[in-house]
Amino acid sequence: MNKLTVFILISLLSITATVTADTSLFTEANKQYEQKDYSKAIELYTEILNTNIESAPLYFNLGNAYFKNGDLGHAILFYMKAKRLAPDDQAIRHNLEFAQRFSSVQMEGVELNPVTSFLASLVDTYNLTFLAWGSSIIFILFIITLILRLGMGYNNAMLRAGVVILLLLLMITSGLTTFKYRYEYLTKRAVIIAENAKVFTGASEQSDIELEGAPGLIVEILSESADFYNVLFENKRRGWIKKGLIAEF
Amino acid sequence: MTYHYLLIPKRPGTFPIDQISAVYNNKRYKGNRLELTVLKDGSTVSDKLSKRAVNVTGKTKDYFLEAIVDNKTPYVNEQITLTLKFYIASRYYGSPELTEPTTTGFWKEIIGNKTPYNQKINDRQYKIIERKYALFPTQTGELEIGRAMIRVTVPSKRQSRRGNNFFGGLFGNGEEVSIRSNIVKVKVKPLPTKGKPDDFTGTIGKFSIHASANKKVVEANQPVSVSIKISGRGNIKSIAEPKMPELDDQFRIYRASTSENISKSGSILGGTKLFEEVFIPKRPGDIEIPPIKYNYFDPSQKQYKYISTKAIKLKVIKPEGYTASGDIPFPAPDFKISSNARDIRYIKDDIGDTQPVNQLILASPIYIIVNAIPLFIFAGMIAVRVRREKFASDVGLARSRAALKEAKRRLTKAKSIAHTDSVSEFYVEVYTAVTSFIADKMNISPHGLTIERIKSLLADNNADTGLITQIEELLKHSDFARYASSSMTQDDINSDLEKAHNIMVAMSEVSFE
Repeated sequence: MNKLTVFILISLLSITATVTADTSLFTEANKQYEQKDYSKAIELYTEILNTNIESAPLYFNLGNAYFKNGDLGHAILFYMKAKRLAPDDQAIRHNLEFAQRFSSVQMEGVELNPVTSFLASLVDTYNLTFLAWGSSIIFILFIITLILRLGMGYNNAMLRAGVVILLLLLMITSGLTTFKYRYEYLTKRAVIIAENAKVFTGASEQSDIELEGAPGLIVEILSESADFYNVLFENKRRGWIKKGLIAEF
Repeated sequence: MTYHYLLIPKRPGTFPIDQISAVYNNKRYKGNRLELTVLKDGSTVSDKLSKRAVNVTGKTKDYFLEAIVDNKTPYVNEQITLTLKFYIASRYYGSPELTEPTTTGFWKEIIGNKTPYNQKINDRQYKIIERKYALFPTQTGELEIGRAMIRVTVPSKRQSRRGNNFFGGLFGNGEEVSIRSNIVKVKVKPLPTKGKPDDFTGTIGKFSIHASANKKVVEANQPVSVSIKISGRGNIKSIAEPKMPELDDQFRIYRASTSENISKSGSILGGTKLFEEVFIPKRPGDIEIPPIKYNYFDPSQKQYKYISTKAIKLKVIKPEGYTASGDIPFPAPDFKISSNARDIRYIKDDIGDTQPVNQLILASPIYIIVNAIPLFIFAGMIAVRVRREKFASDVGLARSRAALKEAKRRLTKAKSIAHTDSVSEFYVEVYTAVTSFIADKMNISPHGLTIERIKSLLADNNADTGLITQIEELLKHSDFARYASSSMTQDDINSDLEKAHNIMVAMSEVSFE
């Protein structure tokens, strides 16, 4: 038991200590942004990303730099990444929405499945980490009540009620966590980053053109075939697009 | 509801069929008048066709392929229908194989095959297979529709002359023949210049236009989706996008998407093209999307037509608490009025909480450990509890488990008195340790446990015979030593202690029931 405790403590410490970012590079990138050298800023922010470090402000600033540089597709891509890490950040939401208005093609008549949109609205302002730890805490509380009840044999009305309530809470929170995970991580989404992104009816350039995409449009990747992705647009239209024209987030 | 009537004419001539009428809901509905022409026997078809069915020597052909168009002088982009008719009077094997005609200069859409039917030409019964195409000329001038070709296997002429060759006839020692159609020449007329609108869309056919908005009440700066539907007869794919009116002071307009739906009505191609446009009203008030104008050329009436949508009235509400400013007079609810209102929010100074790229909390070791620990503790507690309950209900098992412990305790005590001063006490301890260990293991009383009984019990439990002998010797020796303590040396005592210890170790490996 002692060995286990030590092991846990070590792993806890090692994990919380893994990421200490190089903030000097970040400060330098911000300075370039202030001096309106957006290309240089993009380069520096990307350099931080290449050291395998991410954060919501980093993605946000990178999105801003791309937006200022006139690259709508990448701007929206990084705003989406930022929003996934910090869904309740108003600045990120604002800039994402602002940037999306510049897309020359607007997706209208979007009708989501009502159940999906209800669940999505419930978890909208929380990120996955928050939800995961929330369900973890309830799980631990639930196990504690079970230990008291079954392991140690305590038996009173309050404990019995506690077991039931915590079980229900656990089902709800873990359900929402699973939904969030599936919705934002398991579903492969991408942003069109290229101008004149033709969407074909089949996985070849000889196919008919289904529609013409524009930078900033968000698509869901359904499948792939050679150089093409089969993508689903928000307005439920689908088609095939060349892999290089979109970027996954 | 459909009623079918079968009419068999009695004599040739032209006969009118009067209007059929029906009464429904106190209203009388009338059908149309029909005229039926009955031909003389044997002259079922036009002269032209019966000529085509005869070859140069004056004999009727077994098969021929005919290509016909319904209009040899169409306007550019006006639909003409090409019909291929394959007439065959002889038997044939397999299915005829068609090589499509070349249609350079046309946009082609296959309408499809008609169910084969029979027709009598020059007193010969032909089976007719018909295939139709819709063709839209894309250029003016003389265009040529090339020959279509059909390959079909028919019974060989030479063989059939030989007479009753049963197998040859049945198993088709046939020959493959290629049948080619005639070339059809089409003269495509340019559109008349007279009355041609300056902003002519290039669309030809017969169309109607309709616009609808997805909402009538909207906040300023919120999008309204307007669908413009152009439907009718003609080449749907070539329908040009309607030009949006100049509305810069009232709306921002984006093209959203287009979609087509091509349909066939008989052999006429038509359908619907849908243009979706997004209108974002710039300011509140009652504003109107004015009629959207469109024009096309109607080849049947040989004139240009003007159509337009109805105006759409919109009620634009002022969003609460915002005032107009520059390009975006009424910011969306999220927009705060500040120097940034027309721009993106400024970059952040602090990099914030960082983490490895794409690290998923659910898969991180810390998350798994934190969740697994309580589960292990719980499982452990349950195991302990189950074990405790099992002990409580099984004294025998408890004794068996405790046996070694008890025996060790006794041997330790024996060791402490293992010298020549207390020989008899030492041997009593050794004797008791061994016998009570066996008794505990077997959950029986240690009293009255004789050496003979121990021997038989051990033998019953498949103990090693060497071990049994060792135990017997040790017990007998201990018994003897208790009464002849003076003859025991320190070496004897030490070696007996050693023996007792070894026996215990060996015994604990014997499984007792």
